Amino acid sequence: MAIRLGAWRPLVTRWGPLLVLALALIFPLGADSYWLTVGIGILTFAMLGLGLNLVVGYAGLLDLGYAAFYAIGAYTTALLSTVGHMTFWETLPFAVACSAIAGVIVGYPTLRLRSDYLAIVTLGFGEIVRITATNLGFTGGPNGIYAIPSPSIMGYQFFSQDSQYYLAVAFLLVVLFFTRQLAHSRLGRAWLSLREDESASEAVGVPSVRVKLWAYVFGAIFGGLAGAFFAARLTAISPDSFTYTQSINILMVVVLGGMASFPGVILGAAVVVGLPEVLRFMQLWRLFVFAIGLIALMLLRPQGIWPAASRKENPFGPGSERKLGPPLPLEALGRSRDSDGEEAALDVSGLRRRFGGVLAVDDVAFTVRPGEICSIIGPNGAGKTTVFNCITGVTRPDGGEVRLHGRALHGQTPHQVVGAGLSRTFQGIRLFKSMAVYENVLVGMYPHQKANVVDSLLHTGRQRREERDSLLRCQALLRFCGLEELAGHRASELSYGDQRRLEIARALAAQPKVLLLDEPAAGMNPSEKQALMGLVRRIRDLGVTVVLIDHDMNLVMGVSDHVVVLDRGRKIADGTPQEILADERVVAAYLGRDEDDEEVNAWPS
Amino acid sequence: MSVFVQYLVNGLTIGSFYALVALGYTMIYGIIRLINFAHGDLFMVGAFAGWLVVAAGAGMHLPVAMQLLLALLVAMVVVGLLAMGMERVAYQPLLKSSRLAILITALGVSLALENGAMIAFGAGFDTYPANILPLSGFHLFGAQVGYVQVAMFGLAILLMAGLYLFVQFTPVGTAMRALSFDQDAARLMGINVEGVVLITFLLGGSLAAASGVMMGLYYTQINFMMGFLMGLRAFTAAVLGGIGNIPGAMVGGLLIGVLQSLSAGYISSQWQDVIVFAVLILVLVFKPTGLFGERVVERM
Repeated sequence: MAIRLGAWRPLVTRWGPLLVLALALIFPLGADSYWLTVGIGILTFAMLGLGLNLVVGYAGLLDLGYAAFYAIGAYTTALLSTVGHMTFWETLPFAVACSAIAGVIVGYPTLRLRSDYLAIVTLGFGEIVRITATNLGFTGGPNGIYAIPSPSIMGYQFFSQDSQYYLAVAFLLVVLFFTRQLAHSRLGRAWLSLREDESASEAVGVPSVRVKLWAYVFGAIFGGLAGAFFAARLTAISPDSFTYTQSINILMVVVLGGMASFPGVILGAAVVVGLPEVLRFMQLWRLFVFAIGLIALMLLRPQGIWPAASRKENPFGPGSERKLGPPLPLEALGRSRDSDGEEAALDVSGLRRRFGGVLAVDDVAFTVRPGEICSIIGPNGAGKTTVFNCITGVTRPDGGEVRLHGRALHGQTPHQVVGAGLSRTFQGIRLFKSMAVYENVLVGMYPHQKANVVDSLLHTGRQRREERDSLLRCQALLRFCGLEELAGHRASELSYGDQRRLEIARALAAQPKVLLLDEPAAGMNPSEKQALMGLVRRIRDLGVTVVLIDHDMNLVMGVSDHVVVLDRGRKIADGTPQEILADERVVAAYLGRDEDDEEVNAWPS
Repeated sequence: MSVFVQYLVNGLTIGSFYALVALGYTMIYGIIRLINFAHGDLFMVGAFAGWLVVAAGAGMHLPVAMQLLLALLVAMVVVGLLAMGMERVAYQPLLKSSRLAILITALGVSLALENGAMIAFGAGFDTYPANILPLSGFHLFGAQVGYVQVAMFGLAILLMAGLYLFVQFTPVGTAMRALSFDQDAARLMGINVEGVVLITFLLGGSLAAASGVMMGLYYTQINFMMGFLMGLRAFTAAVLGGIGNIPGAMVGGLLIGVLQSLSAGYISSQWQDVIVFAVLILVLVFKPTGLFGERVVERM
């Protein structure tokens, strides 16, 4: 069962899809009407799976009521073509629009919920839609709607099963095309980053609620499209086709096939719909055996039958110049500070934050001048990271102001703070682990990219130009941080030091005016630390103001223009490294306590 | 008034069945973050196990009280063991994989249990003997309250209280609570994580079985698909109360029972699930972690 393509991968990825398509096209020649029905069922579930894959596989949102959108599309087409006398093709835009609106209605109030709560809300929504359809008069109650006209094109009626099969293939290809376009776009990357780590995604500039809402809307659109096809093909629908069990089957298609994997989802549909049919000879035992098979398959291949590729091709490998154009010089990464104005790069005043009974940050104020490297130091628990979190909008301060080049940041959400020009790294590394190195950096560019959802769906010229420019910039950033060769690797495969540097590259991708580094040297050996300090200086030389937190006094004193010292939530000193080293309160904070042996040793002699 | 009280009494009775099943959902979610879709089917297996014991007991002319006690005990033990086996075979190997993979095996287990029961007991309804329980009762504010209702409600409360005390005051219960906060830290403290997870399934399974036997006795009809709706409602109850929170699941179960009974009585039984889900969604929109759930603070 294991699929290890190895050297065959290029061959399989190029010719495999065509081979599958050819097989799908000649399938009706050898199939009787029963197997044609099964084939159409597989194709329909593949459409549904591809739609749900955007929600579950990409955005990582568990949806247990996806059949609701399928139902809404089906009922819209059924009602408009029977009562409204529209043709199938005329009903399609309405079916898509109604399901998209339903996507917004479920999504908007609930997307702030944690994923397991979201699961039950979607389940409840699915049941509400089904029960409503069962109990209302105009939807035909439990009997549903019948005598729905079949689709026709220029007088040709899709009556025969063969023709309906080919129509299903055409619909699937359309869904496949557009879902792939979305997946390979700014929006698709943002979805993946949400799945990997939602709060990190928001903190590097992705507007998480809006991006999730789009996942819902697009999932709903493709579900609705599949529903419209389903209604017109069967010419009769009833609420029984849209049960919770159906939602679960669609979910199985995605997870069993392989999340975020297009071939996986199609294979998953074949297994979920086809296997119970193959097992029909077992009669009563059929679903039991299917269930055991399902469990066994998941135990053997928890990632799905055909998981998404774990390593991507390095987009900057040999020959990439032909596609992308010549690499950018590193100078292109520099920014001019001319437009920043005269004000302080970062001005923090009166910052306060209480956690229960602990005043973690108590009236902290400091100013960072443009173009300097400023360090915030202090013993463990001094409130350094809380200060960072308050500045970046991750934690809401109880009071105080934060200004970036004169512009107020307090009260803004993390992604708005990034958009304003302030980005950060994390104390514990928070990369999007199963995404490629270059994709991590591309997600960091989200706030500055302009491609909207229509561009992402259609891959317009504007979108393609922007993607190329982003890739070139990404290449330069990775080279700047010494990671260019690793661009195609999964982020989780990188060594610790490389992961730290990738976080910096991702933060720089947002083109910040000010960069906050939270303990960038933690866990590094002395020579790695030296290299990191070199990198920090080079970042400053690009025109970026740097604020960093660290414990290591040698490192901080060596690199900083300006040092702020915190102790127990209060600022106790603020000045040049020389002034800080001479400050008695600082010496007391670091040396005054016998138990802090480590900190004593850290003091430069 | 009397009608309202009647709905309330009926609602609390079914609600206590929901609560027992919801407890299992919440405990399992609390410690391994799994929505155990097969949990409702454990309830169904419990109902069938109890039915077999009652039938066998009647054949041996055992006194009714004895039959009932045996049915309850056997069902709880059998289903508890079944739940442990299920965890060991289908869930434990996947605890380190993606949470969706384990969700799918849970669905697989659910499907296997349903179809296994169908193969064993047929697709139709089986009935608990109708005359086994006394029909008598008393009047309360004009409503008819059966002794059976009181006894079942009392038993459910007793089991829940027992569970609560177990989790709060025994070493294993303390280990469970530790696990729900941080599995790795719990392991480092020397807790046998796998063992504690198994015990959680044992407890959750037996509570579901007790609920299944009571439900079977109460409504007399049982069927291989009866766990499906129960699972849905108990899951709703667990989330309403704040999933992972034990008192929350108890209150959530009772609330769902009452809500259902009232909406079936005053509006229409066709819309009762719509009303239950609508209330759930409203609660979650305004209180995103359920009634008793705590806010999870994330560290950066």
